[in-house]
Amino acid sequence: MSRFWISLRSFILIVSLLAVLSGGAAYAQSVEASSAEDLTDYRRTGLELSLSGLQEGWSVEIRTDQHGVHTRIPVKDVFGLTRLPAEAALQACFSDGAPVHVDTDQQSVIGAGTQSLRCALTGLRPGTDVAVQAAIVDETGTLRAQSSEIRLRTDVSDLRLTPPDTRPILYLLGSILISLVLLLSALRWWDIRRGNLKSRNAYLYVGPAIVALVLLTFYPITYGIWLSFTDANQTHLGQSSFIGLENFGTVLMSSGLVQVGLFTLIWTVVNVFLHVTLGLLLALVLNRETLFGRNVYRTILLLPWAVPAYISVLAWQGMLQPEGLVNQFLGAEANFLGEATSARISVTLVNAWLGVPFMMMSLSGAMKAISTDMFEAADLDGVSRWNQFRHITFPNLKTTLVPLSLLSFIWTFNMFNTIYLLTRGGPYLGFGQPGATDIMVTYIYDVAFEYGDYGLAAAWSVIVFLLLVSFSIFYVRQTRATEAVT
Amino acid sequence: MSLQTASHKWYVPFEILSLRSVLNAAVAMHVVLAALELIRDRIDLAGLTIALAAIFALLRWLAPQALSGSPRLQIVRLIVLLSIIIVARLTLAGDVSGYAVWARAWSWIPILMVLAALFSPYTSTWTRQPLSTDDLAEGLARNRRLYPWFQRFGSHVLLIHSCVLVLLPVIWIADVSISPGNLLGGGIGDAFSLEHYQTMLGGSSFWVWTRNSVIVAVGTTFFGLCLAVPSAYAFSRFDFFGRRSAMFAFIVVQMFPGAIILVPYFLVMKTLGLLNTSIGLIVAYSVTALPLCIWMLKGFFDAVPRELEEAAKLDGCSTAQIFLRIILPLSIPAVAVTGIFSFLTAWNEFLLALVFNTSNDQFTLPVGLASLIPTDGQRWGDFAAASLLVSIPVVILFILFQRSLIQGLSSGAVKG
Repeated sequence: MSRFWISLRSFILIVSLLAVLSGGAAYAQSVEASSAEDLTDYRRTGLELSLSGLQEGWSVEIRTDQHGVHTRIPVKDVFGLTRLPAEAALQACFSDGAPVHVDTDQQSVIGAGTQSLRCALTGLRPGTDVAVQAAIVDETGTLRAQSSEIRLRTDVSDLRLTPPDTRPILYLLGSILISLVLLLSALRWWDIRRGNLKSRNAYLYVGPAIVALVLLTFYPITYGIWLSFTDANQTHLGQSSFIGLENFGTVLMSSGLVQVGLFTLIWTVVNVFLHVTLGLLLALVLNRETLFGRNVYRTILLLPWAVPAYISVLAWQGMLQPEGLVNQFLGAEANFLGEATSARISVTLVNAWLGVPFMMMSLSGAMKAISTDMFEAADLDGVSRWNQFRHITFPNLKTTLVPLSLLSFIWTFNMFNTIYLLTRGGPYLGFGQPGATDIMVTYIYDVAFEYGDYGLAAAWSVIVFLLLVSFSIFYVRQTRATEAVT
Repeated sequence: MSLQTASHKWYVPFEILSLRSVLNAAVAMHVVLAALELIRDRIDLAGLTIALAAIFALLRWLAPQALSGSPRLQIVRLIVLLSIIIVARLTLAGDVSGYAVWARAWSWIPILMVLAALFSPYTSTWTRQPLSTDDLAEGLARNRRLYPWFQRFGSHVLLIHSCVLVLLPVIWIADVSISPGNLLGGGIGDAFSLEHYQTMLGGSSFWVWTRNSVIVAVGTTFFGLCLAVPSAYAFSRFDFFGRRSAMFAFIVVQMFPGAIILVPYFLVMKTLGLLNTSIGLIVAYSVTALPLCIWMLKGFFDAVPRELEEAAKLDGCSTAQIFLRIILPLSIPAVAVTGIFSFLTAWNEFLLALVFNTSNDQFTLPVGLASLIPTDGQRWGDFAAASLLVSIPVVILFILFQRSLIQGLSSGAVKG
């Protein structure tokens, strides 16, 4: 870099600084650089910048004496943009502690309010000293601020992450497809040979659905089970290796297991209880033919089911804010979603609100099927309403209630949206630790997509699945409702 | 059993009969009210409310018999006096807000009903020991007249409370969407502005999200039906090897929660290069909705009489012709209902869309709308305006088709 350019740049810098200062001291830009030691874990050189006074349309540049401009990150309005997925962020920058945003062209951008930037510098010559400098540049390419030059040493074997080798998955998908087609043709041939001519085309009709189901449901499940025995995570997905039961050991020994398991259990049981009792109560009341405005009530009470769940959950989130409607109505200032106990109660009640209409409608459908003769006879004998319910309605509803409550149990157990959209599992979220309202599925999401530990998440999933299946089998056995299935 | 006790069992005056249910409801309500007072940080009022709940529970327990015996009657009068004092104290402590009026109505009405029961001539007739046949007949006739009204009234109270709870978020969203500014706060209907509708409809994001959602939902409906209709027909009509086990597999799959296959699903989609595309979501949604769709359709096909097919077969129709020319036209309503079901599922799905599509121009409406409410800088007004625009067509669709949707769904769900 010649002396001329340096002096020109400093001239421009001084002029622009003066211009900006005259415009208002609030827009003073500065950039300071230091080496980010902990980034060298990944055998690259890291740089940490502290920034101020950025404006939209400008950009931040990192220059090295090996590359000239190594990285240029535009400053833009980041509202509505997503952040880089965590697995890609390992070779990119973090702004204010989180991966940078990406715009619609998949280009990294930062917001004007960014104060710190940490970047991993890849692609440098290994084992050399490199001079690094950061600068803020405006739309026209004019330098607005720059840091002092610092010298960093690159590691002996600077490593760019290779994209994971995913060809095995493709081969596997292909071979499953081919063997399925072969199997179905073989079955067809065998069926025809058996003399079952009438349904010789059956496999043509079912084939596509079965192929889709196997490829996109059964195969992922098997793959998930396999993943739970490996150390797959987002940094080495293709090179993951078999580690036996270690993930399961981690899950069972983790401090979060008891907390998450207990809350999942309470959450599910309370919700199913509320769904069934409230649904039953409303169905009983609505089933009176003579009730004035019955259809209006019915339609209104259907709304929680009809309105997209994410919208109503987000609306509840707004209403439960400290300055939200619920507090206004009560004349209080409670932070419902900010404290563990009240957050737990809130998410449970909101989910009850969501689930009652389905139960109500299904039960009122089943109630209509009960013959009215029984109630007429009971009326003649002077049986009270409560006893009519106990001895006629309830026993007749049992065959419906058993599968319905099982369904409600499974749905609630896996209800991701309510918790994610209300609290994201919080409050009290620590890295790697479940928050106060985390149930198993939301915690699995965190483990997989926030912390990037696919193997561990898969192990959690397998445990959840085993729990659900064994509960379902136990429940169906206990209630002896097997005839209700198929 | 003496005749006297028998008549006491057979006939209880309307006042006391209704008092039982009213006091039951009042006890439950006061427990809720006490919790609400705790939220308002009024621990003194919460204590009083709980005391009131206990008193109502006591009255509920004493009411049927107590009114008939004189020493107990004195106790009841004392308790009622005490409760009046407590409620008066609560009434004076409360401000004049919607909440206070509603809460105190729940305290005063049961007390007034207890008082009415205490001073009613029918109750005193009933408590006087010899109960004449005329009294009995008149009282029973009165019960038959009044009790249905009371039940109807009770149903309406319950339903109105539920409806208010259900409508609250809807009204709130409508109000926020027409209030200026993006912050919460301010009473309902105190200011008016259409700025949020202008922001959402004028900006590009909302249209991009809507376009993506429409593509995904329509694609899912079409692709899902292409898979589901033929196989449902086969399950309904053909007897082929592996039919039962395939159907069982479909039931089991219905139990698989989406979150559990999330990680492998994500990796498979990544391998196939289907992340951040509409096709990835279409494929995933069609397959996840497939079991339920097949079950719904199979139920409908089962209801189509087989004689039609046999007649067609005699006329020389092939299986494919029977399916396309006879069964499909007959079951267009059923197919449409299933289509609406998969459309709604795809339109409202959140989790897979969140995981698969991470770039703003591939967001579907659920993820897009949720992105308006991050942890910082929440745009409640814009969110509310967009939510109303998004949910109104869906809600209308759902309510118009509710009966067939619910019927199909619950038969599928209950069978599965």
